[in-house]
Amino acid sequence: MEIFQLEYITLVTGGLLVLIGLWGIISQKNLIRMVIGFSLFDTGLHVIMISIGYIKNGTAPILDNAVDKLKAAEQVVDPMPQALVLTAIVIGLGVTALMLAYVVRLHKAKGSLNITNFKDLKW
Amino acid sequence: MVTPIFIIAIGLGLAFALGFIPKKHINLTGMLSILGLIFMTFISGQWLFGYLGNNDLSQYIFTAGAKAPFSIALRMGESEAMITLLINIVGALSAIYLYDKLKQIGRNAFIIYLVLIMALNVIVMTRDLFNLFVFLEITSIATAGLMLLDSNLKTLSAGFKYLLATSLIAGIFLIGTIFIYYFGDSLFIDELTAISMVPLKAVSIAVFLLMISIILELKPFPANGWGLDVYQTANPGISSVISGGTATAMLFALYKIMPLSSIQTYDILIWVGLITFLGSNLMGLKQSNARRLLGYSSIGQIGLLVSIIGMKPYIQFDIQIILLAILVTHLMAKAGFFWLAGIVGNFNISKWGVIRKHPELLFLMGTFIFALIGFPPFPSFFGKWELIMELSSAGHFLWIGLILLGSLIEAVYLFRWLGYAIKQENQTEISLDIRPHKTLPTIIFAVFLYGVGYLASFWFPMGDSINWLPLAFIAILFALDFLPAWVKNILSIAGLAYYAYQIIPEQEGLYLIFAFIFLIGGILTLIPGFTNKGKRIGFYPVTMMMFVGMGMLIEAQSMLAFFFGWELMTAGSYFLIIRGHRSMPHALSYMLFSLGGAYLIFAAFGIAFAGSGNFLMNGLSNMGGLGGIAYTLLAIGFMTKTASLGLHIWLPGAHAEAESDVSPMVSAILLKAGVLGLIITFMAMGGAESEYVSLPYVLGWLGALTALIGNLAASFQEDAKRLLAYSSIGQLGYILFALAMMTHLGWLTGLGYSLSHFAYKAILFMGIGAVVLRLKTHKMYEMGGMIKKMPFTFIAVLMGIITLAGIPPLIGFAGKWLFYNAIIEKGWYFQGTIIFFAGIIAFLYCFRILYAVFLGQLKDKHRKVKEAPIWYLIPQYLLLLSIMIFSAQPEWVFQPLGDILAPIFPEGQLVWNEGGTAFSDIGYWNGSWVMYIIGIMFVMIFAWLFVQNRKAKKVKQFNIVYAGEKPERPETTHMAYNMYAGYNKALGFITASGITTFWNWVSEHVSALGNSLRKIYSGNGQTYVFHIILFVIIVYLFSNGGF
Repeated sequence: MEIFQLEYITLVTGGLLVLIGLWGIISQKNLIRMVIGFSLFDTGLHVIMISIGYIKNGTAPILDNAVDKLKAAEQVVDPMPQALVLTAIVIGLGVTALMLAYVVRLHKAKGSLNITNFKDLKW
Repeated sequence: MVTPIFIIAIGLGLAFALGFIPKKHINLTGMLSILGLIFMTFISGQWLFGYLGNNDLSQYIFTAGAKAPFSIALRMGESEAMITLLINIVGALSAIYLYDKLKQIGRNAFIIYLVLIMALNVIVMTRDLFNLFVFLEITSIATAGLMLLDSNLKTLSAGFKYLLATSLIAGIFLIGTIFIYYFGDSLFIDELTAISMVPLKAVSIAVFLLMISIILELKPFPANGWGLDVYQTANPGISSVISGGTATAMLFALYKIMPLSSIQTYDILIWVGLITFLGSNLMGLKQSNARRLLGYSSIGQIGLLVSIIGMKPYIQFDIQIILLAILVTHLMAKAGFFWLAGIVGNFNISKWGVIRKHPELLFLMGTFIFALIGFPPFPSFFGKWELIMELSSAGHFLWIGLILLGSLIEAVYLFRWLGYAIKQENQTEISLDIRPHKTLPTIIFAVFLYGVGYLASFWFPMGDSINWLPLAFIAILFALDFLPAWVKNILSIAGLAYYAYQIIPEQEGLYLIFAFIFLIGGILTLIPGFTNKGKRIGFYPVTMMMFVGMGMLIEAQSMLAFFFGWELMTAGSYFLIIRGHRSMPHALSYMLFSLGGAYLIFAAFGIAFAGSGNFLMNGLSNMGGLGGIAYTLLAIGFMTKTASLGLHIWLPGAHAEAESDVSPMVSAILLKAGVLGLIITFMAMGGAESEYVSLPYVLGWLGALTALIGNLAASFQEDAKRLLAYSSIGQLGYILFALAMMTHLGWLTGLGYSLSHFAYKAILFMGIGAVVLRLKTHKMYEMGGMIKKMPFTFIAVLMGIITLAGIPPLIGFAGKWLFYNAIIEKGWYFQGTIIFFAGIIAFLYCFRILYAVFLGQLKDKHRKVKEAPIWYLIPQYLLLLSIMIFSAQPEWVFQPLGDILAPIFPEGQLVWNEGGTAFSDIGYWNGSWVMYIIGIMFVMIFAWLFVQNRKAKKVKQFNIVYAGEKPERPETTHMAYNMYAGYNKALGFITASGITTFWNWVSEHVSALGNSLRKIYSGNGQTYVFHIILFVIIVYLFSNGGF
């Protein structure tokens, strides 16, 4: 079946990860679990990006002996999403680290990791 | 030309390099950062300057030595140069403002701050979608990073919510980007717009995701709780960067990616923006935290800008100019306001009274508020003007209505706040943080606002029709405010006289009459100001603002200039009114009614522009098919100034609580601006030939009822100035009625009344004002016997009353004679009866004020009271002289008036003979003879009384018998107290304040609506994330009509 091809599997997996991540952010009260939710969401995005650039039976976009230089465009997967995903991973790492830094400081300030305890600001 | 890549190079390079500077050299770090920011500003400025010089510049910069899509493309076009310049200015000034705070946190703070500003620049310049994503993330990391460095728990929790929300939003953007790449094979925006992507649903979803995530970055209502928290808790310096810098960059990003989407998606922006504008302002109504309130206002304004981007397909005029005008105003005013909030330090807006110890800070606050609302001379005034005109000619009246409604709601809370700052008494002492590095940036932006406002006037059609000279004079008066009051009074009178000399000779016809009332009246009512000792800080600039505004109404050739003058006048009079004792609530309601009225006028001008296609005043007579609506809007708008029934509730308080010499200005003169407006409206409707007959008919009834109720309410007042204020409502009712008749005699009456009301109401308010000044009370039952102490004032007031009451021989009688002639001719007998009845009721209050103030018993504590100051008497007697001449030789005034009206109403003119007798169709009247006969009668009776008086026994004040019991409330035994109790019992229900109750009901329910709306901001970060997801889904469903 068409649907079980690699790019679809990765695409669907990525989509599922995004949804699970979102569910985690919205439903988990624990700050650390929320950050994990975000991490899943982010990872899901990266998987989706990779699946976009995939070419059936393609190889890594490195011009070495395995690839015929003249037919490279047909043989290798699109290098662009891979380059992008690297950047996105780095950024995701930065954001996750910053979130965790927040969690540490919030915990220090109030001795709690429960998001419902941080509702001082409203209306 | 320095290549814009240096903006990034400096931002990043400096941020890295700062890490090597030892921590102890923190000042070096700080200075370098600020220098870096200034250099970034310089680069943007240099490019903008290059474009202004029409240099042929290469706009694109490709990184990594390859062309896009194999490299990241940056663009530094004219718009980019402009926007990055704005961002860098905010960045640099905010860095100066934040200097001590950043220094206290340490080196890292400077580093993050630099990266933040650099990232905003890249968001503007980049033409690459993925690059845009990267810098969205960097912006959000840098902002959250700055907040993380704060030690306050609230700031921390806001920062976490912010980071959570913006990461999610960036994720949505990333999904959109990657699918765009999949379908479009490029990330280069210009290339993507050039090729048309496959019209697949997936493509439109991808574009939708891009757009919605940038919209979300702009904090749309209601998915913006996280943004509000940041505005509330971040250091005001950071908030100003978010509101001024980040929002500006995001708006530009939105503008940049919109060409990717189809034309229909522009409507999404309009509705999301307008709902945000309305919703955010509505929720601000109940907010008392200064910074959160600024957040609401900021989000609202950004919403408006988003909707304007969406209006691009509907607008002929260059949308970028409209956007720029409103954006610049918002950026500078809001950033400045946030800085000011940091200087004041107090969170509660009702505690902002502390600010008035520093008039210069109050001046800044006023500048920012008036700029935000879109008053002249700020750029947003012109931007909003053009926007409304364009939308009107495209026929989008609903949008106009929403924009104006949102602006009005914003005005409610901003002016309430300003009211607190000007008037609210504070028990607690709060010290302000007025170190130069805090105030300097704030002052710079305020000055910029005026400067850019001047420049902005030239960006728009007819903008050059505005006379800036008088405004310069007002600015000079502001600068000279340190001088003593008498010097400024002389300057003001001289300035007004020069303005009058410039304007009046050029006027003819109806405008001449009003030019005379506004400017000569202005000079006369300024004279009492000489009694003021000290400096009278702030009085003269705002007074001149009002009079200059009125002068501009006269001068205006274009609707733009008219509206400019109208708003200027409103602003000036607001400040004049709020100066009075206990004036805070009255000034607010005055402002709101005035603004509401102004917006109706604005909308009508829009219709006129749509009909006639130009901005000239005579365009008002060409309304296209919407004349009925437009003239009704104009009439209602102008009636907010004439205080007609239903729109009058602001007047009594505003006029009565104003200072003694301000009451005559606002009552005798300012109300006539509304009359001028009505006259312009009726003339535009076609005068005698008008096809719109039902509007004047309704207004006639309204005028009659206003006269009746105004006069009746005046009779029941205990407060002398309130009595006069209600009397003004009644008198303006007469004028409205007279004009609404739309006949020659009707207008002659109306104009005659306008002139005489100006004269006698000025006399009365100056006379009674002087009494109030001397006795320090407004209550009539606490006065009495002033005839002996203030005889000159008494005579002036007596003559004023005689004129007002229409007693022969003075000119008021001529007015009545004309009035009844006009009514009989017109055949409005029923309404005429009401007017007649109202005239009789006027005697009640006329007698009351004469009796209670000047006759009756002199109070013990008033035995040493002196005559009114000479400066009050001079203008009164000058006006009295003019009334006498007008009364003795009415043909000198009425004949030219008749000639002016002849072209408009040729039928039913008065015929004058050589001897000064006027003949109407049904009678005749000779003012001189009436004067002579009454004069002779007066002399005869006076002589007889004089003779009789010799035989009479003089009774001393206390030669009377007391009944013995001492009443608990002495005033209850005073005749002047509740003087017309019987009438009140019988007729008082007519004046019962049903209308006030109605307006209170409106305001309570609107506030309550805002209050229940803002409950969605539960404070829970998860709820906010949920809002974001829901927002995306709902907007998608709406824009697609389902999945």
